[in-house]
Amino acid sequence: MKFLVVLSAFLAVSFAQYCYNDVVGSCGPRGVELKNCHAKYGAVDAVLFDLQSYVNAHISRSFDYLLMSTHFGNYEQSREGFEKLFRKLSDSTWDDAIDLIKYIAKRGGAMDFAARKPEEEPQDNAVELYELGALARGLDTQKKLAEEAFTIHSGATRRREGYHDPEVSSYLEEHFMHRQAESVRELAGYTSDLKRLLSENKQASLSLFLFDEYLQKVV
Amino acid sequence: MKAVQAIIFVIAAICAHSVTAKLQCTLPPVDIPKDWITMVEPCTLKMRSQVQEELQAALTYMAMGAHFSRDTINRPGFAKLFFEAASEERQHAIKIISYLPMRGELTSEIRQLIQNPTPLKESWDAGIDALKEALQLEAHVTRKIRDIIIACENPSGDGSGFNDYHLVDYLSGDFLEEQYKGQSDLASKISTLGKMLDNYGTLGEFLFDKKLLNGEL
Repeated sequence: MKFLVVLSAFLAVSFAQYCYNDVVGSCGPRGVELKNCHAKYGAVDAVLFDLQSYVNAHISRSFDYLLMSTHFGNYEQSREGFEKLFRKLSDSTWDDAIDLIKYIAKRGGAMDFAARKPEEEPQDNAVELYELGALARGLDTQKKLAEEAFTIHSGATRRREGYHDPEVSSYLEEHFMHRQAESVRELAGYTSDLKRLLSENKQASLSLFLFDEYLQKVV
Repeated sequence: MKAVQAIIFVIAAICAHSVTAKLQCTLPPVDIPKDWITMVEPCTLKMRSQVQEELQAALTYMAMGAHFSRDTINRPGFAKLFFEAASEERQHAIKIISYLPMRGELTSEIRQLIQNPTPLKESWDAGIDALKEALQLEAHVTRKIRDIIIACENPSGDGSGFNDYHLVDYLSGDFLEEQYKGQSDLASKISTLGKMLDNYGTLGEFLFDKKLLNGEL
């Protein structure tokens, strides 16, 4: 692997990859392809697979949240606040997927909908969860997405062998990390509140009703 | 040293015991009359599978959006059109998912509603090819909605002929109207672009894309 990197670096130097050279060749008698006339620069290639996987993870999580929301919407659960909370998570995760795709395109990459990093198998992938379980699952999921942004960020920040790409890092910071921190904090807060409500008294049914009503107002 | 460890262990165990109060996380089920739940199986199964159809269309549109956003393709107008279509198809899936609980459905097997939908394709030769495939995709979705209507209007087998007037009306009124409008809109775009391509080739697609981007079509 190291050898390939060195080799490709050597090739890059020996046949300077300039769009202008291609254009001169193409407009002259030889007629060559314009294979260097693209938007790629920096270390975007090094994090492209990670970014693609990140899009696909967002799409999957968006569907998980949608199904969790659906569960709370049926007449047996009847928890409008929880339904709204998970619907909102589903919407924002979906929008983030589209935003990431646009970003990949901006940096000269193509999207690959099959790209997937091996994920840690969840304990179960149930979507029909009780209230506190759903909050806990939501908290874990949001944290995992936030930590994956850190991983990609570090991949773009390592200062060696041309892997440094502050533009990628800055995009992740501005568009993802701060919002993710807020989302994690919000879910952690809900989890703490509901945990206390369910342990300190025996009024679980009323507590859940009131907490759901609260969620309807604040989400 | 060992003794210290043992003491710490005992203290930790006592602390742990005092915090791990058992939570009451689930509530006992309530006995709810079931005779208001009237949808029959052949109809509900078709409705359920429509969710996957809509999401597959959504992801195919998303892939079109991704393709036309690329630096070497550079058709931002097409990309905008398809990204918007992707979110619209997702909304259709959500509309179906929200209808079912109103009728007392979706109290179980919720996970099976969405089974890892993927785009039908990830690259296209030209804008007009994507528009044509989009039109075919819409026609396919329309046929599927008609199939649900047929299954819900006069269900065979164990459906014992329960005519689901409300759902049939909803699908015909809301969904089919939107499908027909969308289809004719796509057909018009293909027509306009096709005529431009006929005379002006690449320049036609370039101009058409900018028109799409500015919402002038």
